[in-house]
Amino acid sequence: MSLVAEAFVSQIAAAEPWPENATLYQQLKGEQILLSDNAASLAVQAFLQMCNLPIKVVCRANAEYMSPSGKVPFIHVGNQVVSELGPIVQFVKAKGHSLSDGLDEVQKAEMKAYMELVNNMLLTAELYLQWCDEATVGEITHARYGSPYPWPLNHILAYQKQWEIKRKMKAIGWGKKTLDQVLEDVDQCCQALSQRLGTQPYFFNKQPTELDALVFGHLYTILTTQLTNDELSEKVLFLSEDGKW
Amino acid sequence: MLLGGPPRRSPRSGTSPKGPQSSTGHVHFGKSPQTWPRRTRPRSPGLAAPSGVRGSTQPKRRDFPRRAWLTALSRYGARLWMGRRPSLPEARGPAPRSAAASRASRSLASPETSPSPLPATTRGAVAGGGSVQGRAGAQKEVFPGQGAGKMAAPMELFCWSGGWGLPSVDLDSLAVLTYARFTGAPLKVHKISNPWRSPSGTLPALRTSHGEVISVPHKIITHLRKEKYNADYDLSARQGADTLAFMSLLEEKLLPVLVHTFWIDTKNYVEVTRKWYAEAMPFPLNFFLPGRMQRQYMERLQLLSGEHRPEDEEELEKELYREARECLTLLSQSLGTQKFFFGDAPASLDAFVFSYLALLLQAKLPNGKLQAHLRGLHNLCAYCTHILSLYFPWDGAEVPPPRHTPAGPETEEEPYGRRNQILSVLAGLAAMVGYALLSGIVSIQRATPARAPSTRALGMAEEDEEE
Repeated sequence: MSLVAEAFVSQIAAAEPWPENATLYQQLKGEQILLSDNAASLAVQAFLQMCNLPIKVVCRANAEYMSPSGKVPFIHVGNQVVSELGPIVQFVKAKGHSLSDGLDEVQKAEMKAYMELVNNMLLTAELYLQWCDEATVGEITHARYGSPYPWPLNHILAYQKQWEIKRKMKAIGWGKKTLDQVLEDVDQCCQALSQRLGTQPYFFNKQPTELDALVFGHLYTILTTQLTNDELSEKVLFLSEDGKW
Repeated sequence: MLLGGPPRRSPRSGTSPKGPQSSTGHVHFGKSPQTWPRRTRPRSPGLAAPSGVRGSTQPKRRDFPRRAWLTALSRYGARLWMGRRPSLPEARGPAPRSAAASRASRSLASPETSPSPLPATTRGAVAGGGSVQGRAGAQKEVFPGQGAGKMAAPMELFCWSGGWGLPSVDLDSLAVLTYARFTGAPLKVHKISNPWRSPSGTLPALRTSHGEVISVPHKIITHLRKEKYNADYDLSARQGADTLAFMSLLEEKLLPVLVHTFWIDTKNYVEVTRKWYAEAMPFPLNFFLPGRMQRQYMERLQLLSGEHRPEDEEELEKELYREARECLTLLSQSLGTQKFFFGDAPASLDAFVFSYLALLLQAKLPNGKLQAHLRGLHNLCAYCTHILSLYFPWDGAEVPPPRHTPAGPETEEEPYGRRNQILSVLAGLAAMVGYALLSGIVSIQRATPARAPSTRALGMAEEDEEE
């Protein structure tokens, strides 16, 4: 959003309190939603719960297309629609709820950096696993992604999305990676997170922040999703600190 | 935290710092109490004290989690790193002689390969002036650890050449160069401006001592780490995790904007980037290669930032720049008043941050919104100039090859230009005369000398009439 529009939106956002009928849209939980989208959605839900804001989850097959940025999840609050965790956090902050107010500048920098780490490595690894690993693609992703649509649309949409993701992987240099390398990256990311967490209950102070929500969303999804290749969840299991969640 | 000083390679392996080295009877290791090869300068007493103190702070850092983290730090896996450690001392064997030999035989006057990222004073004392021989001779005794020269050919790094006051104008090349400087890796640096000359077709590229060619910057750094030139040796596990996080932050927030500033923003591209590349590249590459690079960058940026409609371009741009400004502010806050991000010794994160910031700061951009913001963050500016003056002191002062300065091409072109002009005039004259002769406008008849002039005069008259 441009600066002016953003200021405008935050003004409006600040004006209204959080309504009771706020909804979060994601794809169909049982049949359609994929690992990465599920993780993102769970992160947002966790964040909103940490802020004690009520939210209702609505599953729609075309949630991806409804979203203003093309990514799920997105929330519909009052008469505004905001998608993705970053903008949602800002939106919620404009309404006066924030989890990271207690952090000083250096910690905020660290928090942003770690969120980027999760986005950069974990999310990309999930996307890779879903769309670039042939076994998973064939057995799970294609079937799930196109499930609400009739033939041949389900195949077309699935191939289209796969092609798009593969292009993106190539652009960021992950196109040539093998599955083992990707899993190693996940390993490093998890180790880094584990190091940062140490023995504290949350990443910063004693309060959960959006980083905790994000990490929880990803880790929980990875641990509880059935994939052809279980190595991802095995890697994540090594983080014993998860147990508390 | 370390008491200042560059990252060391790991002859001080986790268990016994001096055991393995002394067993192989290295002259320098035995001679000096310091454990880091680059520090063994018997001739510079100023160094002895800090090294000794540093040695005492080492033992705390050796614990398994950190070692485990260190293997994790390299994004593409340094699996062999731990396995190779014990064999390190052997590799460091008769290093000084081979190092000096390899250094003296370097083809380029390559100040970049100076092995010791030490404070400027000591380096100034040793390095002195700018001649290769002088440098090689002066540093012969201070660089005992370069066993790579003995084992196989030294590693060669091909990277973009320097400009705008920097050792290299390309982001990746600069990062790799800086890392190599930090760790003192003995690289034979080839600064070229023709990517087709590099062994892999792209720059930067590292040709390892075994002939293998690596061209992904992160992999190059991983390889250097495997070869024991590790700038992150002394970071704690937590700092290693922070490094990973901050590198992700840089890549996500700052890199798109940097690419946009240099390659997509029209004014900057035309006046600065394309100009430099077109001048630097040889004919005929300079006609199409910058354009091709620009298209590649544009495509990459589009894929990274997701699909967007054309009218959103401006908004997207604003958003990108806003995030970049935020990122810079975050970096500034993390750096605080320290000299480097993790204390007094530079780490790999410093190499990357420096490459981003230096490019932004040094290039004279007509459209420099981010530059203006960066200039406002004084600690980051000081950080950049500090690293530049410490590790690339003569790059700013060295006279760049004539091709790379604005005045250069002109003076070079002058003699060629004159020659070209004369040649083209002669060619034109020859063409006209030849045509005239062949088509009969002017005919030279080898008749009697008395008649010849008249015929010629007749011929000329005809020509005049035709005209």
